[in-house]
Amino acid sequence: MSGRRRIWSAKRLRPAVQIVFLLAFLGLLLCARPGAGSGPNPAVKLFFFFDPLILLATALAARSVPAAMLLALVVIAMTLVAGRVFCGWICPLGTLHDFVGWMFDRGGRGAKLRNLWSPWQRTKYYLLIAFAVMALFGGHWVCTFDPLVFLSRTVTTAGLPAGQWAVEEGSTAIYHADPGVGPARLTLVTEPVYRFLRDNVFVVPRQAFLGGGLIALLMLAVLLLNGFRRRFWCRYLCPLGALLGLVARRPLLRRNVKQQDCNQCGLCVLGCRGAAAEGPGERWKPSECFVCLNCTDSCTRRAMSFRWTWPWRREPAVAPLGMSRRAALGAAVGGAATLALMRSNPQARGAAFHPRLIRPPGARAERDFLARCTACGLCMKVCPTGGLQPAVAEAGCEGLWTPRLVPRIGYCEYECNLCGQVCPTEAIEPLSIEAKQQVKIGLACFDTTRCIPYAYGRDCMVCEEHCPIPDKAIYFVEVPVCTRDGEEKIVKQPHVDPDLCIGCGICESVCPYKDRPAIRVSSANETRNPANQPILPAAEESGEDYYGE
Amino acid sequence: MSKHTRREFLVGSLAAGVSAAGAGPLLAQQAAAAAKPADMTIAKWSGVSENLSKDQIKQIAIKLTEQAIKGLGGLGRFVGKGDVVWVKPNIAWDCAPELAANTNPDVVATVVRLCFEAGAKTVKVGDNTCNVAAKTYKTTGIADAATAAGAKIVYVDTNRFRKTALKGERIKSLLLYPEILETDLVINVPVVKHHGLPGATLCMKNYMGVMDDRRPFHQALPDCLADLTRFMKPQICVMDAMRILTAHGPRGGNPRDVQLKTTVAAGTDIVALDALGAELLGKKPADIKTIVKGAEVGLGTMDYRSLALREIKVA
Repeated sequence: MSGRRRIWSAKRLRPAVQIVFLLAFLGLLLCARPGAGSGPNPAVKLFFFFDPLILLATALAARSVPAAMLLALVVIAMTLVAGRVFCGWICPLGTLHDFVGWMFDRGGRGAKLRNLWSPWQRTKYYLLIAFAVMALFGGHWVCTFDPLVFLSRTVTTAGLPAGQWAVEEGSTAIYHADPGVGPARLTLVTEPVYRFLRDNVFVVPRQAFLGGGLIALLMLAVLLLNGFRRRFWCRYLCPLGALLGLVARRPLLRRNVKQQDCNQCGLCVLGCRGAAAEGPGERWKPSECFVCLNCTDSCTRRAMSFRWTWPWRREPAVAPLGMSRRAALGAAVGGAATLALMRSNPQARGAAFHPRLIRPPGARAERDFLARCTACGLCMKVCPTGGLQPAVAEAGCEGLWTPRLVPRIGYCEYECNLCGQVCPTEAIEPLSIEAKQQVKIGLACFDTTRCIPYAYGRDCMVCEEHCPIPDKAIYFVEVPVCTRDGEEKIVKQPHVDPDLCIGCGICESVCPYKDRPAIRVSSANETRNPANQPILPAAEESGEDYYGE
Repeated sequence: MSKHTRREFLVGSLAAGVSAAGAGPLLAQQAAAAAKPADMTIAKWSGVSENLSKDQIKQIAIKLTEQAIKGLGGLGRFVGKGDVVWVKPNIAWDCAPELAANTNPDVVATVVRLCFEAGAKTVKVGDNTCNVAAKTYKTTGIADAATAAGAKIVYVDTNRFRKTALKGERIKSLLLYPEILETDLVINVPVVKHHGLPGATLCMKNYMGVMDDRRPFHQALPDCLADLTRFMKPQICVMDAMRILTAHGPRGGNPRDVQLKTTVAAGTDIVALDALGAELLGKKPADIKTIVKGAEVGLGTMDYRSLALREIKVA
């Protein structure tokens, strides 16, 4: 047969390529960190720009995408030509799956004999259809389960903080104990290593995320499923895999089997990552194939090869997806119903605003924000105070793991606009520092039953001290209070100026109370949601009259 | 502490920006060298002070710092050969030098250089910032200026504080930064700023950069600062009043609140320096409770004019 081409030793080449892409992914993720300069490397968004699922979902939901996201068309083109190469060779989560599967093999608990195509693999297509219908009506939820987003979020909110905890606690224990013999101290080794990691890897001191354990558990569960079926996630669930599978139905690079040489020994099935064939050497489905080339490598009779062909050619034959029209329709209806259920709550309808859903500055109005945010976690990763945290319930089901500011953990730094700079979909718009300083993300208010000058008649004013507004959004009034002994003394009681307060939350973050601060920021007055602005602006503040003319 | 009330006026005329030294500065130097070391010096720019360029202000800051320290008898009086010195500026806020929220970087760099000239082996510069450290060090210009002068920039690391016995009246123990306490000398280099609570933040308050979780201090700032200052045993402070923040302190952020004072003071009496700082801000030292408390517990005198004071006019 002519045109026969074997890619030499894919067995060695592919893992090497996969590791390179995994390291590149993690390396870029580590570059998303605050620094002394103006901003992080713009390349931190690169992997997300190349993700066709994010492109599709954002285009459907928000009806506009940042131009750079069109880079994902390269992956579409690549898939049209060569099939799901992305899944087999590039996807960093796929690489982790391969690694975990390999570990299971080493442990003697392999899943090798279940590598023939299963009708259940169609599940991912139905899920994608449901998600796409949601996206059409503005629900961007599918991206929450995009593999790149999933991995990025897990590394950011769980993996790195766990490593950071170990490094910080371990090295601090050694620092305080200072073990050693004479001048040979252990700290001479541990301190430089610690400082290097602190300044170049972790950067934000004691960075940790609320609900990171849950995110890690989900990842752990998905990885452990490799013990049940190799690449379970990729075969049955992955929405990006489904999208690429739809694109890869008739690729130019196809598997060719010389029927006269094939004795149906089944060796090709043993190593098949995607369970892409219905039988040994037959009924190959390119939509399920990761082009890992294990089959051609394992064929002792050299009956199998990948070769180029034209899309209209029938040979080498490809087997169809095998989706049922009825199930697809059902999925579409299910998607619409799911969105309707998600949106039919007071918060999603705009009748109520969650006081603790404080979005980063530049975040679009909630509906538009949710139509773009993938919950990838880059903004949380780069937040220099560690205050941006994944929402668990505050933004509803649709806003699961989207960013919100938790001032108790970290405030929004006045001179920083990094979150908008790293957001791949511009759910948080990139603002200049000057523009960002004008954006109100919330409003601070005092709890006078706890605030020390009010409740206990003593000085404090740490909030006023830290307020970054040049003319201070917190001011104080000197008030005489009566002490227990009946003496009168003057105490400075703080107040918030609602016209100046931008809700950055540094006041809440530095309040001496660490359990429930006596000054707290709520989402009230946020610029992005006009319906959530209870305070009438001062006359000289607004250039327009009350009726917005 | 020197009790005699001597007041010296030393009017040197230093040619600005000219490398060739004339007779004026030579005389001033000789006079300064001949006199007994002062307890406190105030170096004030007496030349043109309108429409100064950034570079001119930088040169003035360097000269004033040099003169103020020279008037004290030079850093050789405090720094020993091979010493490790911690220069403790105010690096609290992520603000540019022009906003006077942090110590002037050129004052800091000059102190660093003079430490090396006096024989220091290592000079470390660091503070427990209020905003994000790496960026704050950079924006304030202190990281670059101090590094260029040969200092080692140290980030005060949240994970490295150690519980230390203070044995003060109010504060018995505190989380302090070991690396600062382990040095041979701490040179306190604050900036003169307004502060809502005590009225002014000066030398004593600048020591709050060596501790962790300073929030509860504010409920009794005079008592706590007195305890901390006594523990820190101040030997020399260099007070930056090149630009002072007159309102909305300690962070400020509005150029309208900044006043160009082109003054640098140095001294061994921390309370006296704070009293001077209060006056520069237009306040009476007796109205600043931290200063009153410092004087009460014997950390120094509020009446800085009673010290061996040397006022140096530099032009």
